[in-house]
Amino acid sequence: MKITRRGLTLGGAGLATASGLGLSAPALAQSEPIRIGWLAALTGPSSAPAIGFDRGIRHATDAINAAGGIGGRQIELVVRDTQGDPTKAVNAAQEMISRARVHAIWGPTNSGESLATTPIIGRAKMPNLHPCFVDTLIDPARYPNAFRMAPSNSQIDDAVSDYGVNILKLKKFAVVGDTTGYGTTTVNSSSAAFAKRNAEVVYRGQIDATQPDLTPDMLRMRNAGAEAITIWTVSPGLISRIMNVRATMGWDVPLIGHPAMGSGEVGQLIAKPQNWEKTYILGFKNCSYGPDGKLPGHVQTFVDSIQGKINLDDSTLWWIVCGVDAINVIASAVRESGGTDPLKMIDFWNKQNPYPGLYASYTWTPQQHNGLPQSDLVMSEANSQRQGAYKLAPGYV
Amino acid sequence: MLPAILLSGLAVGAVYALIGVTYNVMFSASRVMSFTAGQLGMLGGVLGAAFIGVLGLPSIVGFVLTLAGCALVGVATEIIAVRPVLKSLEQHLYVLSTLALALLIQQFTAINWSTEPQPFPTLLGFRDGGVGDEKFWLPIAACAATVVGLELLYRRTLIGRAFLAIAEDNFAARALGLPERNLRMASYALAGVIGGLAGFASGQLLLAFFANGAMLNFYGFVPVALGGLGNNRGAIISGLGLGVFQQAANFTVGGVFASVAVFSVFIIVLLVAPQGLFGAPAQRRV
Repeated sequence: MKITRRGLTLGGAGLATASGLGLSAPALAQSEPIRIGWLAALTGPSSAPAIGFDRGIRHATDAINAAGGIGGRQIELVVRDTQGDPTKAVNAAQEMISRARVHAIWGPTNSGESLATTPIIGRAKMPNLHPCFVDTLIDPARYPNAFRMAPSNSQIDDAVSDYGVNILKLKKFAVVGDTTGYGTTTVNSSSAAFAKRNAEVVYRGQIDATQPDLTPDMLRMRNAGAEAITIWTVSPGLISRIMNVRATMGWDVPLIGHPAMGSGEVGQLIAKPQNWEKTYILGFKNCSYGPDGKLPGHVQTFVDSIQGKINLDDSTLWWIVCGVDAINVIASAVRESGGTDPLKMIDFWNKQNPYPGLYASYTWTPQQHNGLPQSDLVMSEANSQRQGAYKLAPGYV
Repeated sequence: MLPAILLSGLAVGAVYALIGVTYNVMFSASRVMSFTAGQLGMLGGVLGAAFIGVLGLPSIVGFVLTLAGCALVGVATEIIAVRPVLKSLEQHLYVLSTLALALLIQQFTAINWSTEPQPFPTLLGFRDGGVGDEKFWLPIAACAATVVGLELLYRRTLIGRAFLAIAEDNFAARALGLPERNLRMASYALAGVIGGLAGFASGQLLLAFFANGAMLNFYGFVPVALGGLGNNRGAIISGLGLGVFQQAANFTVGGVFASVAVFSVFIIVLLVAPQGLFGAPAQRRV
């Protein structure tokens, strides 16, 4: 083989370039930002939770970056508005993984989108945290990368039925939902949770959210002997009609169930403020006011620190603090595992027992990726919202 | 509680009946089944809540503005969704054009108003939730007023007779020199007023909710089919009957089974009397 001067020059230049790139690669990895994908339904009809989570996420990101980042690396949020549409969420997840090359993904924040994105994020072995409720979204065997930071539907059913049976000491329940897929499946799972506690479900059914008058349905529940009504819907119209009819009938029955019963829209639609009483919704221990009117110490300190910086009045506290926790959990994984290696980050999460957050103390193991302990789920008084949090329902010490 | 259930059935039935009449008034003038009828009802509730509840206008001013707004939407329906397809009625393109306009109205309302139901203000102060509650009586009163008003219009006024003339035979009416296009637009404005009245009167019962449009389109069509196309008396009787039957089904079988019961009866009636309970079989010259 003949060696020419030109060949030698080109080869030398190539070698020098390759050597330079190789040498500088670790330095680049150590200084590049930590990119966190945020699959957010920031617009559209189901945008309220994502807007709340977003406030916490940006607050935590700014706090970490202002303190110098993690090992000198700044956090960079890669936000994509999915509009609550599973198709858009899938496209955004794929784009985050292959083009934006994120190091971890937070979200999506509703189960419909998450059902579509979880397999895709799982195939990429991308560390993924989300706050979605559907049980099947968490399966450490199929999706070892996916971790839940909110309760599962089973945990919610257990919390609500446990409150009705063991704290209110009632035995006969009506379980109703709207006619959506969510309403139908939750009525079934909630009824099963009551049956597990040897309580009797004397009435169960679906009600169209636009049905103008609920007197016939409520009469059927009363005639069946219901001592409490469990409600599974996010429709303020349906919820407020149930409350108004309950008052008109003079039926002093407690309503228990979905957190939507505590939303501000319900307050606008009820005929009288008293109609909102004796209504208990699913809540969270760390985001509930105790008898002293205060949140648990570390959460109260956080809330005091964000006064004037984050608006709590038009959102829910748990969305905001869960958003803060999500960023902190990812940041801790990077810090403690020494970088953004996905397997090492996942391994770090698998060893948290517990990880002390604002919203909850999360526990994850290789076999259990549902982070929220059952004991963190409580019931709250629906009409007691103040700065995004609620009072504990009667019966808790 | 039984009187309250019956009363609420009559109230809801009155709303269905008025939407049925809205369908009929538009159909009589153009031979077009306009699927914007339910959206006019929805707009009556939303505009009423916006004018009175949000802007704080006096009830009577809000009422007049609501009816005027719905009349404008009725006229816009004629211009945008009906007039362009009148020449090809046999192709039934109006189904597409009016449904598209209905969806447009619904989405516009969802974006600019709210995707959640909003409260409708109390108009007269009777809100006890029982048989004296105005939310039950207002739709019934609106229905009665519409029946009387339409009777007077069609039987006692020249313009009412002109409406009947174009409904009967628009070619002959045009040959006699009647301004068919203007009368058609006036009919659509009248339909807008009736639909708006239905929504305004039932605002406290149905709330100001963008999704009411689709529901009213659906249940408002049943009295039209049962009462016979173009037959207002049939629509009123069928609408009231439908409301009471629906409430009775809610009480006896409950929940989603009530809808099954309603539509089972609807299908059976149409199988027995395809022209509707109050309609005459169509005659065709051979």
